[in-house]
Order: sequence, then C-alpha cells, then structure tokens
Amino acid sequence: MATNAVSRRNDLSETWLSLRFELLKHLKRRRLLILVALAVLLPLFPLISRPDTAVEFAGSSLNFISVLIVISAAMFAGDSVCGEFEKKTSLLLFPTPQNRASIFAGKYLAALLCTFLVVTLWYIVLTLETGALYGWGDMPGDMWKSFVTALLFSTAAVGVAFLVSSFFKRSISATILVFLVLMMIMPIGVMIMTLLESEPWFIVTYSANLITTVLGASSRLPMGPHGGDVVKQFTPTLGTGIAVMVTYAVACVAAGMAIAVRKED
Amino acid sequence: MEYAIQTENLAKTYGKTFKALDGVSLHIKRGEVVGYVGPNGAGKTTTIKILTGLIRPTSGHAYVNGIDVAAKPKDALRSIGALIEVPGVYDYLTPHEVLTYFGRVYGMRRDVIDRRIKETLDLVRLPDWEHKKAGSFSTGMLRRLAIAKAILHKPDILILDEPVLGLDPKGIMEVREMIRQFRAEGMTVFLSSHLLSEVAEVCDSVVFLDKGKVVSTDSMEGIGRRMDHGVVTVRFLRPLFGADIEKIKAIDLIKSVDVKNGTARLHYDGKPESSVQILKTLVSLNLDVVSYAAEGVGLEEYYVSVMSDEKGVN
Repeated sequence: MATNAVSRRNDLSETWLSLRFELLKHLKRRRLLILVALAVLLPLFPLISRPDTAVEFAGSSLNFISVLIVISAAMFAGDSVCGEFEKKTSLLLFPTPQNRASIFAGKYLAALLCTFLVVTLWYIVLTLETGALYGWGDMPGDMWKSFVTALLFSTAAVGVAFLVSSFFKRSISATILVFLVLMMIMPIGVMIMTLLESEPWFIVTYSANLITTVLGASSRLPMGPHGGDVVKQFTPTLGTGIAVMVTYAVACVAAGMAIAVRKED
Repeated sequence: MEYAIQTENLAKTYGKTFKALDGVSLHIKRGEVVGYVGPNGAGKTTTIKILTGLIRPTSGHAYVNGIDVAAKPKDALRSIGALIEVPGVYDYLTPHEVLTYFGRVYGMRRDVIDRRIKETLDLVRLPDWEHKKAGSFSTGMLRRLAIAKAILHKPDILILDEPVLGLDPKGIMEVREMIRQFRAEGMTVFLSSHLLSEVAEVCDSVVFLDKGKVVSTDSMEGIGRRMDHGVVTVRFLRPLFGADIEKIKAIDLIKSVDVKNGTARLHYDGKPESSVQILKTLVSLNLDVVSYAAEGVGLEEYYVSVMSDEKGVN
C-alpha cells in the first residue's frame, strides 16, 4: 500500500497558503510590477502644472488614485475566480483537501494586499513630493484620513471585482465589466442623481470622493460656463461614506464567496 | 472498509431532463486497477468529478475509503490523487513552484516536498524541467506534470481520466508503464478511457458505462474468456494430408476442422481446458505443431457488443 504523506491543515492556514500562492502568481505574471510602476509614476504628473497650495497639489494627484484602484481591482481580482474555471486550472486546484472558501478567501486577500501596496506606494510618493515642493510644514494634516478612505475604497472595489469574477465564465468579460461598473455605470449613476439634485450616497464611487474631500480639496474637475458648477454639488459625509464602502466590501465578498464555492465546471 | 472507491446509485441530472449519470454503483477494492470504459459522453468524467468533489451528485453517494465525498470532501480528498480531463497549468510558474504549493496543501514538510518533487519529476521524465516555466511545455509534458502533481503526496487512490489523451505512442507507453508501477506499489487505480484496448493493457477489471448507466462489469480474465469464440488456429511444420486430417478430426473435443496447407482452424467448445487437451493430443500424435493460438473477437468488437447491450447491470 502506498504511504500517505498527508497531514491536516486548518482553514486559516489554507487561506494563508492560498494567499501566498496568489501573491506568487501576481508577481510572476508581472501584474504587480506593472501596477507598482504606475503607482510610482502617476503621482508625478501633477508636477507638470504645479498648484499654489499643498492641499490642491495633493488633491489633484489623488483625483486619479481611484482610477488606479479600479485598474488594480480589475487586474488582481477580475479573473480570480472565473480564471480558474476558464483555464481549467480548477481541475488541479480543487480536487485537493482544502475548503474552497479558504482558497477564495486567499485569492480575495491577495488581490486586496496588492491593491493596498499600490495605494500605499502612491501615498508615499505623493507625501515625498508634497514635502519636497511645499515644505513639510504645509503637509495636509488629513492626509492619513485620505489614505484610510483610499484603502476602504480599495476593499470595496476589490470586493466588486471578486463578485463579478464569481458570476462570469470568462476572465476578459469579468475584467471589462469591473471597469464598466466602477468607471462608467456607477459614475454615470452619480452624475444623473446629482443632476436630479438627489445625493447618491449609496453609490460607492461617490463615497470614494472622500479620498480628496477629506483634504479640503475638490473631488472633481470644474464644469459649466467659465469653469464653474451649474448644478448643486454634494459631498459625501465621512461616516456615511465609510459605512457605504464597508457595506459594499462585506456584501460583495460574501455574495462572491457564496457563488464561487458552489460554482461547477 | 473493504472498498477504496464506492458509489451508490449515483445520479447527476443537468437541467430537467438530461441524465449524465443514472444510478451508477461501483465497488472498487483496495489495490485494484479498474478501467472505466465508455464512449464520449457516457458519464465517465461526471463520475470522476463527483468522486473528486468537483461537482455534487443530484442523488446517491460517492465514498472514498468509506468517507462520503459530498459530506466530508477534505477528508475524502486527502487520500486521492487525480488527473481529470486536460487540466490547465499556470504557464507562468515552474513545476517546482506548482508542486511546492500542492505539497504544502497536503501538509507535507519542506524537506519531504523537495524530495518528492525530485522523485515524481524523475518518474514522469521531467527532471531537467523543474525550474522552467510550464508555458514552454508540450502537451505530453503538461500531462506528465499533471500526473506528477497527482502522485506527489503518495496517494492511496489514483484517479486518471483519459490519461493518454493527446499523447504520442511513446508517451502512451510511458503512462502505461507508470500505471503498472503504481499498481506494483499497491495503489488503487481508477482509470477512465473511451478505448478498451487502452485499459486492457493495465487493468484487472473493467466497468463499462453507457448513457450514464453501468452496462457491464467484468475482470480482464473474464473478458478474455468471452472474447474467445471457440476456434484455435494451429500451424504445422509441414502441409497436412488426408491421414493427418483424419487423425485431427478423430479428436473428441474437436467439432470441425478447416485445413489450408500447413494451417488448420479447429472448432471446439471454447473452454480453456478443452484447448489445453487438444494441444496435448496434437503433440502426442507427432503432428509437429509450430504455433497454437486461440482466435478471438477483437477488443473493439467486444466493446461494441457490450455497448449495444442496453440492459444495464447497476
């Protein structure tokens, strides 16, 4: 009889193992390196037209971070579930003594960690730039709040990408839909509700405006005649915005997990 | 716990009407090498996916070492190694990275993982490819890597779904040799194929599946007997003439004789003991037998005859 060299692992260690394997995959696919490069280079663009104050400078840089967060979520989590089924690696991965929930939890956490790394790098570069250009004394005091809200939006965006990935069969469809949802459909929803003078408090991309508004900077580019706004503007409140982002993250991950563990070839 | 693999009235229905499996019951003993044969779409892969926890049965139960796969998949899958269909690979990873991960999944120690990676890659003839990205591998190499993953943790039970699909003749021979080696090591091997000739080379017994139902189960020995249709072809050193032919016809066990030059086709009752007795008599008659071979229907003819039988034996 063959010797069975197997011992038991608990769910937590399975998740940790899956997380490490996913990080290795992101590294080997060079996605992480590409996103890291973008996180270091993109904050340098506001240097082209240097604003008068440190807050405006930080605000103009952070106007673009939500785009990078969406890209990161789509790249790291967009194919996290459907990619295994589409490429048939599920046939290697699943007939093993691990809970599927642990495998998928590891995948979500790995995508989240990578996105956190990208966001953190952006803030490090931005902080160094701001300090160098405007002096450390002029550093926006609420930069840390902006950083935390960026991390919270990352949690929600990766959750949305994870949910979409668990629905779809093809990675490319899932990735494109993540972009569409977070960069077009939701912002259009925010725009329509704003035009109707109703606060879109429940849309997570609206909550993401906190990333810049907590600094006291504008969250959007000027609109209307002479660059001024012609419609009523809404600004998310910190408490509601955080609650919405947390709710999106929890609901999307829970729903995505429920679908993923039941998914069959 | 007599059976390594056992299923009871396993059924899987897709939609409202399509029955991929319809009450399949299997009983595979420890250490057996069993072929699971049927045409494409018969339900072989569906059975294997249920046994490996990839899909859930609509009804019935699948047990591995007595553990219900649907109820306790982690416990059941611990003792299984599986190669299912044509699995994908992470083509940006090396065999070392992939196998290290799966070794950890099975809770193996680092030193054991490293040793087993070397052993399994040697066994599947990929020792020089341990640190090369799988994206550059041929189909045969990918299949062998998947087999290496399946046996990394020295499972008690090995489930192979069409393991030679897409392989060249050399690759097919290598896989056969590996299966013989697994049998020698005491593994239970459950081998699915749409080719009877493929499983006949390595299996102890065969389960025939068609349209989601088991249509026949038999040992290879039994199949061999059924294929024997009561004719032996005998080649003699010299052409046979009247007196020799009369001597042969006089043998009690022989029903009739067809002679052409130095070759005779002897019709008898098909029993192995009768065949032995006929040979002994021919030798005792000093007829200078050069070769003596039982004729049989071909494996594929036998397969077709089994598959055309719709009775089912679940």
